[in-house]
Amino acid sequence: MTRPNEIKPREGDHPGTPYAAFQEGAELGPVSFDITPAIVQEYFDASQSDPELYRVDGRQAAAPNVILPYMTVPVYQSYPPIQGIVMAELEMSWHRPIWADETTRVTATGKILRKFEKRGRHYVQWEGRFNDVNGQPIATLLNTFHVPE
Amino acid sequence: MQRSLNITQGMIDAYGRINGDNDIIHYDHDYAVERGFRGTLLHGPHMTALAADLGAQRYGEAWLYQGKLHTKWIGPVCPGDTFLAKLDESGAIEAQSGGKVVMVGSATLAE
Repeated sequence: MTRPNEIKPREGDHPGTPYAAFQEGAELGPVSFDITPAIVQEYFDASQSDPELYRVDGRQAAAPNVILPYMTVPVYQSYPPIQGIVMAELEMSWHRPIWADETTRVTATGKILRKFEKRGRHYVQWEGRFNDVNGQPIATLLNTFHVPE
Repeated sequence: MQRSLNITQGMIDAYGRINGDNDIIHYDHDYAVERGFRGTLLHGPHMTALAADLGAQRYGEAWLYQGKLHTKWIGPVCPGDTFLAKLDESGAIEAQSGGKVVMVGSATLAE
């Protein structure tokens, strides 16, 4: 089992990354982690999701958004977060189920696409790709977050 | 279709445990108020997750293979709020909390 806090730098544990330090074009990862049946169940509980919605021919799948607690791992490993980051936007696509009865090895990579200022606030936008052991995509995402001054 | 939940600090704390963060904007009421919010904030991806079930409900098994979820977080969700997410026939998502729109987006299938 890989809990997100084992691989995701936490706010306050490291000197946080100021907006100026983010580099457009920077490659992120790779970083690998295991989503176990226990994580799948804990995520169902913590996100108030209904497991009955995620059955395929009687087999239990995870809510595909179980990736979300790991979402920032690739970017935060390269750019440890400061306190007060606020998420702004997320586009996420899923490509295959994560099964609830087995451990899924995931490898995450990404890239900082751009940084920009809007209405006096600073934002960072990056893309992420979460692949299985065969290199096939489980999920892909585009995320934008606000970095406070 | 829609779903409604009453948000508690306990829900935010439980999501924080699996999320593994230590961002005090989710846990320290005074800090959140100092930042200009009504209180501690529900995690944005948690808000997304609350709406994601509507996609699964709409599209069934295909959601796991072709699901596309877009969420833009435009307002805070705080303990004590009633969070209401709606998915319309076109796949548009709108969520309200504390009487205001806090998230917009879509839940669709890739072609």
